[in-house]
Amino acid sequence: MEKKKSKVKVKYAKSGPLLLIAAPGILYLLINNYIPMFGIFLAFKNFSYKKGIFGSEWSGFDNFQFLFRTKDALIMTRNTILYNLAFIILGIVFAIFIAILLNALGDSLRTKFYQSAMLLPNLMSWVVIAYMVYAFLNADSGFINNSVIKAFGGKSVAWYMESKFWPFILTFVYLWKNMGYQSIIYLASIAGIDKSIYEAASLDGATKVQQIFRVTLPMLKPTVIIMTLMAVGRIFFSDFGLFYQVPMNSGALYSVTQTIDTYVYRGLMELNDVGMSAAAGLFQSVLGFIVVVSANALVRKVDSDNALF
Amino acid sequence: MKKKLLSVLLTAVIAAGTLAGCGSASSGSGDAGSAGSAEAAKDGEYTQITYAFVSFNTIPDNTADVEEIINQVSREKIGVEVHLMPLSIADYSQQVSLAAQNGEIDIFHTLGDLSQAISSDMVLDITDMIDEDAAETKALLEPEWLKTCEGPDGRLYAIPTLKPFALQPMLIYRKDIAEELGLDMASVKDPADLTPIFEAVKAAHPEITPLAPVSSGDSGMSRWCDEIDFLGGDYATPIGVLQGEDMTVKSFFSLDQFKENADLVRYWYENDLIMKDAATTTSAAAELMSSGNYFAYSASYSYPLEDTAAALSAPSGFDVGAIALGEAYLDTSMINAVSQAISATSKNPDAALKFLNLTYTDETVINAMLYGVEGRDYVRNDDGTVSYPEGQDAATVPYTAQLSCGVLGNFFIQWPLQGSGSVESLAWEDEQNHNAKTSPAMGFIFDATPVRTQLTAVSNVIQQYFPGIQCGSVDPATAIPEFEKALSDAGYDEILAAKQEQLDAWLAQQ
Repeated sequence: MEKKKSKVKVKYAKSGPLLLIAAPGILYLLINNYIPMFGIFLAFKNFSYKKGIFGSEWSGFDNFQFLFRTKDALIMTRNTILYNLAFIILGIVFAIFIAILLNALGDSLRTKFYQSAMLLPNLMSWVVIAYMVYAFLNADSGFINNSVIKAFGGKSVAWYMESKFWPFILTFVYLWKNMGYQSIIYLASIAGIDKSIYEAASLDGATKVQQIFRVTLPMLKPTVIIMTLMAVGRIFFSDFGLFYQVPMNSGALYSVTQTIDTYVYRGLMELNDVGMSAAAGLFQSVLGFIVVVSANALVRKVDSDNALF
Repeated sequence: MKKKLLSVLLTAVIAAGTLAGCGSASSGSGDAGSAGSAEAAKDGEYTQITYAFVSFNTIPDNTADVEEIINQVSREKIGVEVHLMPLSIADYSQQVSLAAQNGEIDIFHTLGDLSQAISSDMVLDITDMIDEDAAETKALLEPEWLKTCEGPDGRLYAIPTLKPFALQPMLIYRKDIAEELGLDMASVKDPADLTPIFEAVKAAHPEITPLAPVSSGDSGMSRWCDEIDFLGGDYATPIGVLQGEDMTVKSFFSLDQFKENADLVRYWYENDLIMKDAATTTSAAAELMSSGNYFAYSASYSYPLEDTAAALSAPSGFDVGAIALGEAYLDTSMINAVSQAISATSKNPDAALKFLNLTYTDETVINAMLYGVEGRDYVRNDDGTVSYPEGQDAATVPYTAQLSCGVLGNFFIQWPLQGSGSVESLAWEDEQNHNAKTSPAMGFIFDATPVRTQLTAVSNVIQQYFPGIQCGSVDPATAIPEFEKALSDAGYDEILAAKQEQLDAWLAQQ
């Protein structure tokens, strides 16, 4: 008994300082992510201001109905998932591509310049980006209609009315904004790869391309898996600014720009209903939780070293 | 232990007090209330209340100086001190919702959402308090106006802001172009008459687009149907409506007049007579007009034509004229859209209601709320109007909420801003309020609670299709049937049926 206790003590003595370092982070998680969770049960209540959060009456699953009311439910879930899948896959491919190119340039001033230039869009807010897109696409005075299409003698396009272009526009805008930032993470991983492996490879006569495919990419696998798992967990959450601001909230584009978040926002702006908002949030979280746990289970089966938990 | 005992005792005393209050609501409580305030005044302790309202001007950093002016009156008259909480329109609903949950505000006003506020118990039942605390205000308002603030249970939950209610659809146009081309604006009786005028403008000035939207996705078209009672909806999301004396709830989108207007706007769109980007632009009418590239826009105002034109000339950047495109029509939602309510979580509802009464009856109070401190924020002219101090304007003075004139208290005791009104205009507006054509369903409030799921879905569908149809950027011949299909998929018919059912029950009571 005595022995066991002291063992625990030793363990804490060792990890104490580390815990202390983690304390602000843990506190942040607690305040920001865990305490608000108690609001979950608002999703099952018919909220009344007079009776307060605890006094309001239970309403079962009534608050969830509006999510599944129309065929919009299918469209918005489809949009949310497909866009996110495209973003995850294209994001990884492009980010690694950029990271390898930057790495090949070596540590020079121009590398720093390219890196900063690519990072810049990530620092801009969606509202600013929405107007940059608008400057290109608007029907009366946009750059594309007035300069590009006119120059080739084509007929001008009402971009904000034609839904068929938007899956491409949104993907492009997303990649343009986020590539620089994601590539930094991969660049850091590449920088962490032991240089002697490359030396050994080149001694064995591997070309640059072979080095990339045989050394760099396999070494990046753990980073890719972690990044993907983290993205998969948020697959039911869409980037609100991208889907709401960039298409300028144009009704004609809803079939390709409506995601769960924008639907909830649009629907609840009208009603200001606390219970329904909580229901929508819970729905997304539960689905996201299921997806991340199953994705992790899959990774663990294939390659247990790289699973998150 | 002692503390615990004390708190138990206190609770018992409070509970007894409440019970006593209930028992003799009509006779006793009023006396106790006024005695209380007088006593409080003696000690220099005043009841504190907070008033949240929308300000369309810059939100001031500090409201203490203004509060002091108001409090000098309110301390003496009712023994209350007020704290003002001006909020920007973007934050308002959310902030009020949070503050009401925490009991931080006593008075706020609705923005077209009274029935939601009632169904979520956000507002206090003031039926038994109004005679005692705000009798003067009650006398100022027509009984049928007060009825628009009643809940489904027939209790009173709010007081409508007293202002010119009757909104008239108008066309605001640039006088210089109309004069240059010799356009006969007086000949326009309804929207279809606008086509030759717009064509003339386009022919003479190809660089000018004749019609600008009021705001994104709103060409003004939804205001042009005659005698519409929106039954709790509004221009942006009209759902089931009444037209004229007919008491059957109809879909706004299947009205013949709506379809005619949709075809008209489509014709304008195809002939470049309306802004191409109208459905998505983020600029509002005044901003577009001041760019010099547009001739006119259509919106509804509740002021005389000349006054409206005079007031809009500065923000539009040109001398503008105004013509009517229809008649003013009063329905429930016009009266109760902005109504003053006491928060259900207020700790001093009587004090709050008494203060509210001052905003309807006391010039000093209401004008200080609007204009701030005399000399610093505004100056009073000899004709009774108000101007900003020399070299200052609405954006530079430390406090002004001038644009909230239609949101707060009693518009008819507010001093007009120079150039935007006169005594004659006020008389005209007062007369409009009493004489404008009124919907037969005036006083009916739609309780949306039973169909709130459908309403969420339907409002999404409306936002998807309505702006395109309104601005002519989609072909109504194909878009309207598609729109109607999507609406009925979303449960539109259930909302119409619920409206009809409630309306019939209401009619039976009348």
